[in-house]
Amino acid sequence: MDISYQIPRAALGWMLISVLLVIIPLSVRMPVWVSVIAIVCIVWRALIFTGNLNFPGRLMRIAVVVFTLIISVSQIRNLGVGLDSAASLLALGFVFKLIEMRQKRDIYVVISLCFVMLMVAFLYSQSVLMTLYIAAVVTIITGAMIALNRSPLIVDTTGTLAMAGKIFLQAVPLTVVLFMVFPRIAPLWAVPIQSNSGTTGVTDEMSPGDISQLGRSGDLAFRVQFENTLPPLHRDLYWRGLVLDAFDGETWRRTRSSSLSSASALTNFRWNWEERIRTDGSGIYYNVILEPTQQPWIYGLHLAQPQSRNVFQSRNFELFNDGLITQRLSYDLLSFANNQTDLILRDNVRSRNLGLPTTGNIQSREFARQLRASVDSDRDYAFAVLAHFQRNQFFYTLNPALLGENRIDDFLFSTLEGFCEHYASTFAFLMRTVGIPSRVIVGYQGAEYNRFENYMMVYQYNAHAWNEVWLEGEGWVRFDPTAAVSPERIEIGVEAALRDDPAFLEKSLFSAMRLGRFSWLNTMRLRLDAIEYEWNRRVVSYDEEAQFELFERLFGEITEQKVLLLLLGLAGIVILGVALTVIRIEPGSRHDPVTKLYLRVSRELEKIGLARLRGEGPLNYRDRVAAAKPELAGVMGELTALYVELNYRSKRRTEAQMKQQLKAFRRLLGRLRLNLSPLARLQQ
Amino acid sequence: MFSLNLNKQAEIPADIVESDFSLQVGAAVTEVSKALLGKEHQIRLALCCLFAGGHLLIEDLPGMGKTTLSYALAKALGLGYNRIQFTSDLLPADILGISIFDQNTHEFLFHPGPIFSQLVLADEINRTTPKTQSALLEAMEERQVTIEGETRVLPEPFFVIATQNPVTLAAGTYPLPESQLDRFLMRLHLGYPDQRAERELLEMNTERDKIASVKQCLSTADVLNFRKHSARVNASDSLLDYVQRLIAYTRGTDEFHFGLSPRGSLAVMRAAKTWALMCGRNHVIPEDVQTILPAVAEHRLRANSDEDGHTGASLVQRLLNAVDIIE
Repeated sequence: MDISYQIPRAALGWMLISVLLVIIPLSVRMPVWVSVIAIVCIVWRALIFTGNLNFPGRLMRIAVVVFTLIISVSQIRNLGVGLDSAASLLALGFVFKLIEMRQKRDIYVVISLCFVMLMVAFLYSQSVLMTLYIAAVVTIITGAMIALNRSPLIVDTTGTLAMAGKIFLQAVPLTVVLFMVFPRIAPLWAVPIQSNSGTTGVTDEMSPGDISQLGRSGDLAFRVQFENTLPPLHRDLYWRGLVLDAFDGETWRRTRSSSLSSASALTNFRWNWEERIRTDGSGIYYNVILEPTQQPWIYGLHLAQPQSRNVFQSRNFELFNDGLITQRLSYDLLSFANNQTDLILRDNVRSRNLGLPTTGNIQSREFARQLRASVDSDRDYAFAVLAHFQRNQFFYTLNPALLGENRIDDFLFSTLEGFCEHYASTFAFLMRTVGIPSRVIVGYQGAEYNRFENYMMVYQYNAHAWNEVWLEGEGWVRFDPTAAVSPERIEIGVEAALRDDPAFLEKSLFSAMRLGRFSWLNTMRLRLDAIEYEWNRRVVSYDEEAQFELFERLFGEITEQKVLLLLLGLAGIVILGVALTVIRIEPGSRHDPVTKLYLRVSRELEKIGLARLRGEGPLNYRDRVAAAKPELAGVMGELTALYVELNYRSKRRTEAQMKQQLKAFRRLLGRLRLNLSPLARLQQ
Repeated sequence: MFSLNLNKQAEIPADIVESDFSLQVGAAVTEVSKALLGKEHQIRLALCCLFAGGHLLIEDLPGMGKTTLSYALAKALGLGYNRIQFTSDLLPADILGISIFDQNTHEFLFHPGPIFSQLVLADEINRTTPKTQSALLEAMEERQVTIEGETRVLPEPFFVIATQNPVTLAAGTYPLPESQLDRFLMRLHLGYPDQRAERELLEMNTERDKIASVKQCLSTADVLNFRKHSARVNASDSLLDYVQRLIAYTRGTDEFHFGLSPRGSLAVMRAAKTWALMCGRNHVIPEDVQTILPAVAEHRLRANSDEDGHTGASLVQRLLNAVDIIE
């Protein structure tokens, strides 16, 4: 081990900056103290360089290892085995490596770790911004490698950066090609990634306050693009999520048995599907890109028919993905706006959709019965309830007053204020009380249109709850009591309805949405989101399937032969590229033009057996050639004089002079050839 | 190939361009040749060594003209000349000088030794003890001597031409160690004269006559001028590359016991530049390096199997054949 090795100042600077930049995106996800330790280690390493501190001793290093072990155990206990605990453990090891970085070898370890840590950051976020940031950091790490391999005396930051940039740009085409064609091999194992674990969107339970909680969040839920058609009107944008049909007096729940539990049930369901629905056949196609929710269910306009693999439908026409959605999911749907479902209601479904707690809310039950008696039909009754909401001073707010034990009574007769879940819950209760099957639907309502890329954005604050009521001869009919209270919520959007509500978007104080009141900012926000959308659609969601499609488009039908040929071809291109690079760095071919021409002189003379010998100087060579072939003496003399002039007389020359002299050299070379050809013939 | 080059060494080296310097050199070579017949190349190398400000070690058998060469050089260049005959009982004071008490003035009076001269011939340097050798070698390096606490500067220019009989030959000698050999810029062998020169030599009367016929053709100022200008001779990047490759080869190849030291590589450049200047050029070409390299590097190199330091010559030839002027 070379004790005296000192990491060059410039290289160390680059190194520490790289480490800092690598840690920054991770620090958002990791516990604060990891970031603090990282900064301490970076400063420590810098102080070691200046000589103010020493490398850690043996005891210190053992202490650090023990500390890391304890931390990792406690991390796994707190966070579970998963990305977060693994990432913070990796980060700890990474920054501790810094303070014992002595040798060149150690720096290479740290540099490799930098790249690994960047990949970890990619697990958390694959946004455009993140990608650009990582590209920049990769360039800087490359700069660190360059600085490491340059002379320690050179401190040329701009030069290093320029070179790193050049290397980065050179790597881009290869990266793109590899991204497009590299086989997507399924991982052997997977770390459960809890990205966006905070907000998971709509859940399969609905208690008062759940959805209004979402209303405070400005996070994106999903983006939708309609194919070849204009999007439906805002008031028709009911993104149906889950059907909640079990009510215990406080919380609406989804009945688990309504999902398909076995293969036979699925087959049975498929048989019945066509019989249960009536549509006019005019559907619209659209694509949804859903942000990760950690839940299996997905959203679509009722009544949707899945067009993607891995998307299934439940008995209640809810949509499910095959597995939890831990990363952005793109799926295609076909929806029929004009539809009727379940014209004949099966008994067990009917009874489930009529279930109510036997006690409580006496006042409401009485109210319902009286109102039902005053109208002729179930349909009229439903509208009468809506009219009740409309007529009285009901108020649409994110911050409703707290409700007592008899929530429905309290809401209906005393507080009169609530968010959509209050209205939906109360409405369903009032329906069920008088024997009309009804249920709560949770999902999203509305969207923001992005005119730049012609798609729609649905945010968490678009979360909504509404009802479906079963009417004789009509099947399930959608009712939205919120629309009766706050028509602008449905017609225009939740932003308009809650503009003055202080609780709206309170979680994202400086959210784009709030700033969006300034029109230019809003434009910018939409443009940025449009870029992000395109990025997600074209890059992030580029998977095996998309790859397959691309291949099919490029090469027609995929056969094993073609795939093999393609892979071989690509491997060939890569190997060729590497080979060319190697040849280019091979010494001997990087001569300056003067030397190249001089070597050609030797090659020409080789034809008559007078090649320049190894170690022979130009004048000696000239003399030897002149002695052997006196007729070449003149031209050889001129060539040698010019070569010596160009190669050994370091006089400053302008570009033009240089060109002129090279031209003269070439002319002389031509003359030599001319003189040579009769000699060569003679020799033959 | 270089055996061919070796044979040519006796001839006038590479192209000589006419310039003040090359004319002066030509005149000096002619003068010295009057005393030492048929040894133009060696005379040129000796001149090169002196013009480069280095010291010269001449190693050859007795009677080959070592002393004649140094004396003729001193005469042709018009330098003050002193000769010290090294014997086993020579003491440092015999070289440097001594203070003697003067009875009349009642003071110690310093009597400078033979070292206080522009050109010192240290004859048979390996005959004396290392103690005395090092006194001389110190003076060579420092160009000053300290006697009885007083530092005295040696004259300018100051050259030492040391001669020694081949180490293999001489019994009762103290061979110079590598560290001291390194202080000589060049080591020359004179070799037997060729037939023509031998004949001419035989036709002459006495040796004294020859040296008497050598006339001064350069002045001390000329010598210093050479040294000044040789520093300004250009060495292009491709030439420096070549020299570096040569040096790297000596350091990185197994057959060399040790490579050229930085002092050695500096010596190569210094001699090559002076040689180029002597040929009337103000830029160095590979031939310059190749010409001076045997003289400059032979005594600094040694093969792994070498015991007495006489493999340098073949090593240098092998080096020149192995390293191409173009990478």
